[in-house]
Amino acid sequence: MNIASRVAIVGGDAVAWIAALSLLKAFRHRKLEITVLETAGGDDPRGIRWTLPSQRGMHALIGIDETDLLRATGATYKLGTEYSGFQGEGSRYSHAHGDIGNDIGAAPFYKYLVREILAGRRGNPEDYSLAAVAAKLGRFARPMGDDTALTSSFTYGYHLDDHAYVAYLRSLAQRAGIARIEGVVAGVDRAEDGRVRVLHLADGQTLAADVFIETAEDTSATDLCDWSAWLPCDRIVHAPMPADASSRPVTQITAENAGWSWRVPLANATAIGHVYCSAFDGQAARESQGTPLRNGRRRRFWEGNVVRLGAAAMQLEPLAGADLHFAQLGIVNLIELFPFDAGSEVEGAEYNRVMTEHADALRDFTIAHYRAGKPRDGEFWKATRGTALPDTLAHKLDLFAASGRIDIRDHETFEELDWAWILLGAGVVPQSLELQIVSRLDAVKADHAAALNTQIHWLTSSMPRHLDYLQRQLAPRP
Amino acid sequence: MSKPLNIVIVGGGTAGWMTAAAFSSVFPAGRSRIRLIESSEIGIVGVGEATLPHIRFFNQRIGIDERELMAKTQATFKLGIEFCDWARLGDSYIHPFGAYGSRMAGVSFHHHWLRAQSLGETAPLESYSLPIVASRLNRFALPSDDASSVKSTFGYAFQFDASLYAAYLRGFAEQRGVERTDGKIVDVQLRGTDGWIESVKLADGSIVSGDLFIDCSGFRGLLIEQALKTGYDEWTKWLPCDRAAAVPCENAGPLTPYTRATAREAGWQWRIPLQHRMGNGYVYSSGFISDDEAASKLMSRLDGKALADPRFLRFTAGRRRKTWNRNCVAIGLSGGFLEPLESTSIYLIQIAITSLIDYLTDEQAQAEPSFDPRTVDAFNRWIEMEYDRVRDFLILHYHATERDDAPIWNYCRTMEIPDSLKHKMELFRHRARVVTYKDGLFLEPSWLAVYFGQRIIPRNYDPLADAVDGAALTRKLQQVREQVNDAAVRMWDHSRFLNSYCPAAPLDKGMMS
Repeated sequence: MNIASRVAIVGGDAVAWIAALSLLKAFRHRKLEITVLETAGGDDPRGIRWTLPSQRGMHALIGIDETDLLRATGATYKLGTEYSGFQGEGSRYSHAHGDIGNDIGAAPFYKYLVREILAGRRGNPEDYSLAAVAAKLGRFARPMGDDTALTSSFTYGYHLDDHAYVAYLRSLAQRAGIARIEGVVAGVDRAEDGRVRVLHLADGQTLAADVFIETAEDTSATDLCDWSAWLPCDRIVHAPMPADASSRPVTQITAENAGWSWRVPLANATAIGHVYCSAFDGQAARESQGTPLRNGRRRRFWEGNVVRLGAAAMQLEPLAGADLHFAQLGIVNLIELFPFDAGSEVEGAEYNRVMTEHADALRDFTIAHYRAGKPRDGEFWKATRGTALPDTLAHKLDLFAASGRIDIRDHETFEELDWAWILLGAGVVPQSLELQIVSRLDAVKADHAAALNTQIHWLTSSMPRHLDYLQRQLAPRP
Repeated sequence: MSKPLNIVIVGGGTAGWMTAAAFSSVFPAGRSRIRLIESSEIGIVGVGEATLPHIRFFNQRIGIDERELMAKTQATFKLGIEFCDWARLGDSYIHPFGAYGSRMAGVSFHHHWLRAQSLGETAPLESYSLPIVASRLNRFALPSDDASSVKSTFGYAFQFDASLYAAYLRGFAEQRGVERTDGKIVDVQLRGTDGWIESVKLADGSIVSGDLFIDCSGFRGLLIEQALKTGYDEWTKWLPCDRAAAVPCENAGPLTPYTRATAREAGWQWRIPLQHRMGNGYVYSSGFISDDEAASKLMSRLDGKALADPRFLRFTAGRRRKTWNRNCVAIGLSGGFLEPLESTSIYLIQIAITSLIDYLTDEQAQAEPSFDPRTVDAFNRWIEMEYDRVRDFLILHYHATERDDAPIWNYCRTMEIPDSLKHKMELFRHRARVVTYKDGLFLEPSWLAVYFGQRIIPRNYDPLADAVDGAALTRKLQQVREQVNDAAVRMWDHSRFLNSYCPAAPLDKGMMS
């Protein structure tokens, strides 16, 4: 069977190196020749990446050891995200990487919270989540115990210094035999059918391949699905700050007058930054701070023998922190549909179908942060609510508002519980609950729920402090 | 405390009694009142029914004892469906309720099997499927719970007498408080303000009112169509069969643990073995054969002596535009019709019932029950998706044929098919990839069985399969074949298993029609 054997990856950001390592590993029996063309400006505009727990799966796949990673990059643990101010000053909620209570028969525990809220009582998911409480207290330990244990009721992601992460991935890739060149693409040589054959670089080098992968945003691309009507932020700016000794294992996101800001712990620094809409932040815009951002996706991710991953495929403000996850989805689907020599149109069509659904689902989840619950005051916040929602998101929010039900379709990254975190967190109160669940909730006694909360507090207070745990992980083993 | 929801089920066939049984079991007393109106004057379609393994989840959810159900309905076990003469005359393949082999190196088994053929292996794909090998031997055993054993690689369903199934569920539902009324509906009263169904009037003049009406009245859609004019999307251009003739016959030969569907000159013939008799039917297109000819063809192709005259059914393939319209939900043939080629009729009833249970809300704040249109729309989208996915799978059987011996096959082979199916077929043809989805019927093994069975031969396999060493692969394949074969020959003869597990009592002659 003929299969593409030469892969050129144009980009040089974390996604480029992860793609190179993953492809090499997946097709180790084929001995792919992989070259990464490092173009300028490969770093993420945030200077930092915060990841979903799925990043650990990707790391395992390409053989990254966690301790090694932490040591080399100054990364920290992430138990979730805290959102402040999205429903007005003083409002705050968590989206933790963990369970909310224990299922009641086949019904998820959050239904019980909805019933409590409908009855006028407190129903905060955080009270029943080990991950959310540990994050709030600045505590961390890896999950342990069997599936039913409270100590295994959560998972975690990372906060990564982007520059250090890229350097780490690059050195791994080079050790694995992936070629690296630096340069700028000056010309493209195409075959008659439009497929790319050779890239000509400004310094006279050439790069020939069977498959070309792009990971950097093409700012001149015109085939965009523009999402700015729902997601108007158009700039990102960031700055480092000194380390915070009390740093908590959580991404903190705060609503601002014209966007939102982040505060993220690293081992030796605290990273802060701002995603904003220049039309509503005149001063920042005049000072033309930061990097431009265009929320949207390419209409086609796979065209001929060119496949776009990560930032080349989609620009999405990282409110939900799924950028590396999206890149990973692109890589996994590319491996599964890896093209034969010719006739890969059908693979391309399938790739585009699946990745479009993934991208649009991530868009919906991101928009939901702006549109769920009571709006924050201000011109910018009013503007985020000006456009009719995408149908898929409208359906989801409508159904929840009517019945407390959350339907998940194919290719959605965020699952029922993720939606429960943000919808309940934003204060959305369903009008009613499913009839068959209401009766089952009668079996839940309030003191059981209270006991769970007590147990969570007891357990989390015995967990190590985040940075202490991290230091212990990094200490040389005897 | 909210007012109980007053539910009226119209029609007492399979759909009506499945609905009544499920609601009475799932909704606690005090939160609902359930009535079912059926007329002993109107027959039910209740031909022999073959089911899918999903029915076991339904039974578990509502608390039906499987063994008792089987004994009461003359049931047999079902490991799959045999398709005869579909791609070419003389062909036979089985769509099994279970997997082929197991994944290796992160790649589905069939890619390894395809690759092995280029290394000289000749064993057919079906020799790696325990339910197929067992079916060919007429053997059966319950699957094992041990996930590491080949004996856990299959599921099963039932073949039962649908009239007895309805009768069994009636007993189950009545024990749980469902009130049954024998009466013929002569009028449907709509509410002036919003066109909701207020009540139905029976021939004896009595009025039955309700909050939620479930239309299980069959093809005619007494409430959903005749009263509410909901509309119907026809799929005849893809699924041209519009009639069936059905007849039971005596059993002859061993009881097969599978249903058979044989392609014929103007449609296909079903054969469903039950403990006491065989159910048969010819599903055909009236454009390609007359009723008389279809009936005579059917009668000439029975295993044993016919036990009745053929009964005729008419239908139109398609789906009701809204399964849930105002305060009426159409379940069963009133909601749509897809021919029973893949035994999906009961599945589609089941999924409508369980989805309705899942979506119905407790409208405690309301003085009068109302159904939020946002919930209704979500329910309808869900059911649409289920129907559309089954539809594509059925069309595949008709379209992917090489037969040119009859006009219906020439039509189906050359017809335009939905883009969603065309894409799936191209992807399989190109690299043996099956498009999978999270919800809805038919997982990868089902698509594989039908693609390969209909002679769609992939040009390539997943290149990731090459990661496995060739000699190791050959050894592994041989090992799987041996495991499958060993497990199959150690199973029981199907009839013997039935006799010891769930023997049915003999029936009165009068009930056998």
